[in-house]
Amino acid sequence: MDKMLRDKKSILVFMLPAFLLFTLVLFIPIVQSVYYSFCDYKGMTAPVFIGLDNYKNLLSDKTFGIALKNSMFFLVFSCVSQLLIGLIYAAVLTNINKGRNLFKNIIYLPCVLSSAALGLMWMFIFSPKLGINQLLEKMGVEEPPLWLMDTKGSITLPMWVIAFVALWQYVGQSMMLYMAQISGISKSLMEASYIDGCTKPMTFRYITLPLIKPMVATALSLNAIGSLKFFDLIFNMTEGGPNHKTEVLATHLYQQGFKYFKYGYASAIGVVLLVLCLLVTLFINKVVKTEQYEM
Amino acid sequence: MKKRRILATLMTAAMFATTLTGCGGNTNESGGSANNNATNAGNSAKKDDVQEITWMFWDDLDATEDLISLGYKQTIERFNKDYEGKYRVKPITTNLEEYYNKLNALVSAGETPDVFIVSPGPQLTDYVEPGVAAPLDEYLNKDGWKDTFTSDAVFTQQTYDGKIYAVPLNTAAACCFYNTEMFEKAGAKVPTNWDEMITACDKLKTAGYTPVTISAGTAWCLSMVAGYLCEAEGVSLPKLADGSASWEDGKLENVGNKLVEFSKYFQRTAAGDTNDVATANFYNEEAAILIQGSWVIGQINGSNPEFESKCGVFQFPGVERIIAKSDSLCMSSSTKNPEAAAALIKYFTDDTAQKYTAEKGGKIPVTKVQYDESVAPKQLSYVMDVFKGAKGTFGFYNESMPTTETGAHFDDTMVAVFLGDMTPAEAAKDMEDYYKTNCRK
Repeated sequence: MDKMLRDKKSILVFMLPAFLLFTLVLFIPIVQSVYYSFCDYKGMTAPVFIGLDNYKNLLSDKTFGIALKNSMFFLVFSCVSQLLIGLIYAAVLTNINKGRNLFKNIIYLPCVLSSAALGLMWMFIFSPKLGINQLLEKMGVEEPPLWLMDTKGSITLPMWVIAFVALWQYVGQSMMLYMAQISGISKSLMEASYIDGCTKPMTFRYITLPLIKPMVATALSLNAIGSLKFFDLIFNMTEGGPNHKTEVLATHLYQQGFKYFKYGYASAIGVVLLVLCLLVTLFINKVVKTEQYEM
Repeated sequence: MKKRRILATLMTAAMFATTLTGCGGNTNESGGSANNNATNAGNSAKKDDVQEITWMFWDDLDATEDLISLGYKQTIERFNKDYEGKYRVKPITTNLEEYYNKLNALVSAGETPDVFIVSPGPQLTDYVEPGVAAPLDEYLNKDGWKDTFTSDAVFTQQTYDGKIYAVPLNTAAACCFYNTEMFEKAGAKVPTNWDEMITACDKLKTAGYTPVTISAGTAWCLSMVAGYLCEAEGVSLPKLADGSASWEDGKLENVGNKLVEFSKYFQRTAAGDTNDVATANFYNEEAAILIQGSWVIGQINGSNPEFESKCGVFQFPGVERIIAKSDSLCMSSSTKNPEAAAALIKYFTDDTAQKYTAEKGGKIPVTKVQYDESVAPKQLSYVMDVFKGAKGTFGFYNESMPTTETGAHFDDTMVAVFLGDMTPAEAAKDMEDYYKTNCRK
């Protein structure tokens, strides 16, 4: 080990590609975005420094308010639903032998499919003239719900629909993470608990759950960040409509940047998004306290 | 072991090569079949001195049934054939909803297409002010090109500080298209004022038809109706922009009330339907009236040719002027081949293209070309009648406001009124506040 660490050249050679990639693809654009967020920048002319104006304008931007509310809804919904359903799937699948791989693959499959294609597929399924509504009409429902067009309520029906589609798509990822952690728990621990008189639910509560807590924190953080920067399904299913009711931070950023050339303003939204991601990750790591056990 | 290593190396090389080929092939895909044809035509004569230019357009030339878009595709093919070995055009196509987003991304990346289509008004201003679009006077004044146009007035919306920055390709007017058969069966008459419009809608509804198909999902469609209602109320956009008039003078509130009244006759899915879906409702005979620009004639007749005989046109009731608009082509100021770009734009306004515009596409030509009225779509003659009867034209409301974003705000506000998210009075206050903050100095 010491010999390896003494070879500075090798260390440099191995680190350089990752360092360059990280700097060029991530670090420099983030710094640039932060700078642009303080500028009036249209993309075609040089940026003009305007201080905090973009951030002040965010406060009076109604669409930003809707987008922030929807992003927060998405964050809470995804974290809670994926945590619960992902855990249930993982617990059930690790305890069955027959069909485990089949169900695992079925549940995980949407994760590896293109979100754009899935978004379009679900858009057709929920279209008023196709899919579910055709079926409902044939069953005698006179005015089936307008799944992606309803505008009533604080969180509109299209937001719920998209949230469930996202749950269907990404729950497999949480399930896999939990399954990987559960598989790593020593069988002797489980057996010891059974000998001590634990039932299966009790074993899950007192042995499995505490041991997978670090993975819960990781999965929650991944869910939270993914939910905050969620874009593709929404863009393909509703494009943020009707009338911005399903706008989230990422779609609003896209519209401001690419539709209205307001790169400075869009960068400010991006910075808010970045800060939110950091805060939520910190919060999760603080709340989900993990202890290291030997498994 | 050695064999496996060789196999692995070969597979890795093949994968890498496929990836590279995938990247390289990307530009060709975007153009659809026209692009492929165009590229093939060009490739057969590929020489070092062939000047290649790009043309960006808001419809998929491969999938479209719109006759105007198909006419543009033919023009590209004709240009590539005629200029084989000298110039070659590569189309970059996308759907209308995404068009400006993608164009802006290309502009920001310093890859502005050599020629691109744009709507006159603030959208064109977005490209003129930062110097993205090049002035075209030099080319228009050459070889009497400018004299082929019906008048200099066709360039009004494309002129900035005395210089022309875009060339119009055709003119369209926003009219009310109606299903004559449904009107007849419902006993409805072509309305000439707002009350008659409501009466006609009532009769259509009583007869079991959906009176109006409209898109609020594509906000400008609904806002076009609001624009006409504003015109009927006597709203003056220049006065609103300079602050000598207020949105809260009661006129916009009246517009909002009328819009709410009118919305009772819209299809149930109007809130989320896109422009294409709303238009399809009309030519598939699911609704009686479609309020849309006359560019829709190409879409209607291309998608359902049998419907042409049932399709009538009337002027939006209660207004004397009509909304008119033209598709216009800009040349990038950074193009390396301005001669080729100008030649391409000229092809879109030559007699062949302009005759096609009228005879097949159903839009009004911008040049003095003589076309055969007997073969042109029937709807074009109705639109021409509307044009002749009108006392003037005005631009789309959202394209006549100080900035693109202001226009979009107006669109959204009108949709909010329709959805019941705002009362007409709140909408008026919102527009006034927006103008005070963003439009008046």
